[in-house]
Amino acid sequence: MAISTNITYQTELSANLVLFCRFLRNKGMVIGVNEEAEVLTALHLLPISREIYFKEALKIIWCKNKYHQQKFEAYYLEFWEQLEKATAAKTKKLADKKNSNKKQRTKEAQFESLKKWLNLNPSEDEKEIAAHSDLEVLTKKDFSNLNSEEMQLIWRLLQKEARKLTHKKSRLQRVSKRKKQLDLKRTIKSGMRNGGEIQQLVYSQPKEQKLKLVLLCDVSRSMELYSRFFAHLIYAFQHAHDKIETFVFSTALYHVSEILNNNEFAKAFDTISERVPHWSGGTAIGSCLQVFADNYSYAMLDKKTTVLILSDGWDTGSPVIMKNAMQTIYKKSRKLIWLNPLSGNPNFNPEVIGLQTALPYIDILAPAHNLESLKEVLQQLKSGRKSVKW
Amino acid sequence: MKILGLDETQNMLKSEGYIGDRSIAMSLFLAMQLQKPLLVEGPAGVGKTEIAKVLAKALNTRLLRLQCYEGLDSSDALYEWNYQHQLLHLKMMEQQGIETKEMETAIFSDKFLLKRPILEAITQDKSPVLLLDEVDRADEEFESFLLEVLSDWQVTIPEIGTTTATHKPYVILTGNRTRELSEALRRRCLYLWIDYPDFEKELSIVKTKVPEIDVKLGQQICSFMKELRLLKLEKTPGISETIDWARALASMHLKHLDQRIVEDTLGVVLKDWQDMRHTQDALSELLEKTGVTSRIG
Repeated sequence: MAISTNITYQTELSANLVLFCRFLRNKGMVIGVNEEAEVLTALHLLPISREIYFKEALKIIWCKNKYHQQKFEAYYLEFWEQLEKATAAKTKKLADKKNSNKKQRTKEAQFESLKKWLNLNPSEDEKEIAAHSDLEVLTKKDFSNLNSEEMQLIWRLLQKEARKLTHKKSRLQRVSKRKKQLDLKRTIKSGMRNGGEIQQLVYSQPKEQKLKLVLLCDVSRSMELYSRFFAHLIYAFQHAHDKIETFVFSTALYHVSEILNNNEFAKAFDTISERVPHWSGGTAIGSCLQVFADNYSYAMLDKKTTVLILSDGWDTGSPVIMKNAMQTIYKKSRKLIWLNPLSGNPNFNPEVIGLQTALPYIDILAPAHNLESLKEVLQQLKSGRKSVKW
Repeated sequence: MKILGLDETQNMLKSEGYIGDRSIAMSLFLAMQLQKPLLVEGPAGVGKTEIAKVLAKALNTRLLRLQCYEGLDSSDALYEWNYQHQLLHLKMMEQQGIETKEMETAIFSDKFLLKRPILEAITQDKSPVLLLDEVDRADEEFESFLLEVLSDWQVTIPEIGTTTATHKPYVILTGNRTRELSEALRRRCLYLWIDYPDFEKELSIVKTKVPEIDVKLGQQICSFMKELRLLKLEKTPGISETIDWARALASMHLKHLDQRIVEDTLGVVLKDWQDMRHTQDALSELLEKTGVTSRIG
């Protein structure tokens, strides 16, 4: 439901605020009834004659992260503009209605194309292939020609694989309640504070090594054949562990971990394709990676984090930007893996200029065009960088 | 509780020497009025922690600080029993032949309770300022624990009972996004993002903090820092670095910058070897942009 088109003229300020709140919710901000009430309380306390105070108060109470705070100004203008339009004339109403119908239709079309894209109703020739497939064939089959049943199967395998990876046992020990292995060192240490008298035994178990992973997935048109498969991959990973951050990019970068975490598969990708306007559009890998390096690398990358980029390297931007971004990401991460499904082709040569620039900063360039090759890459995730290249 | 108006809040910050824009004053004002915690995020060294210090000073109340780190648990944040002290006391009471029940009430009393910042904050007679510094460094478990405390303002100690705050503390949480905080915690707070200051703001900060500085030198320092932040550095210098640098240069009674001085004192501003090298390479260009004519040789 597109609430933004339902903006109608209201005389009361509180009613308008509620409308604005709904408008913002539609933009993806989380605002509860509590926050609405708080704004009304706050407005009581402020000199309302100045719009700047009003706007500032709304911003501080309703925006809960940097992104929304930056966007707020634009949302604010957009809403009041629409409200003014709604106030202007009754005839507008009709136009709005038309408009909303149109929006509804485009939305439906979007959904249809997404459904097609996820291949929930595979085309005829693909069905034919499916009749012969079994697991053995499946692991060697190129991801670009899978049907939905095979997809399901692969997804399950992937989930298992992802879970295995993210729960690796470390050699470090941690204190445990399970009485399996006695930890003498800690037992004696805990006795020290009672003057060396041992009062309780301390047990330990291997610490779990949490895999920290950042996934950057290209969803531009050149990757269209593979991205429906990668969609499964990122979903499987995101659900295997909580220390995983996922981004999708085409011409702009989007942080999608939150959406993936809170929704089931179909819904999640429906939401993402709606929010990401250039889903299956052109690519600007360099500038997207730069945005990641500038805004998120400080928060998300450290020497324990592996970065996984899924892309074909077709970049339309300048190689200099690409180089700078790759350099930053390489320096700050534990390992940088680039999955390029095209490199599974025996005739492949990384001649694409984007990939060429990125090559010095890639630890592993792997095809990952079928399950077998992907499994190999997943094995690589466990180990760190062998040697620093420069 | 003293209730401040918006203008008073703004004046309060100013009188304590904190130069901030309207949004900072507004969020502090709203945080006090709505009695909600304020979550402040921003790059390192832009004065996030300073807000809490200034607030405590201006309200003439205590500042309780809890530095968060990985592995921080509730016993570091709430309370701990002074075990050794209890044992000694017990031994003494045994010799006096006191009954068991009495002994029990004696050892689990306030006297043996080591209050940690959060418990301390809710047992004050006057609302203190509670600063939870770098909350994103703590584990997610601690974050969930905070949710409970921040909404109910009560702490239960099994041996004593439940303590509820009579005066709600003003809470400031800071973070520089080492990890995204949970949506639940964000929702309980007001949010403020502080960025690097623009030239004018930085200059007035420098003038306030280092009043003895030469006017021209101050301007040059601030415009140099502005250009420096545009470079892609590993660790972008914050306001605190600017102030340190200004202090250092002012103490040498310099009137203006030149290339040698900058080269010699770059260590005050940059704390990373690669950044140093990178900046030294680009130094003449930087100084030209800043308007300092470079005098080589």
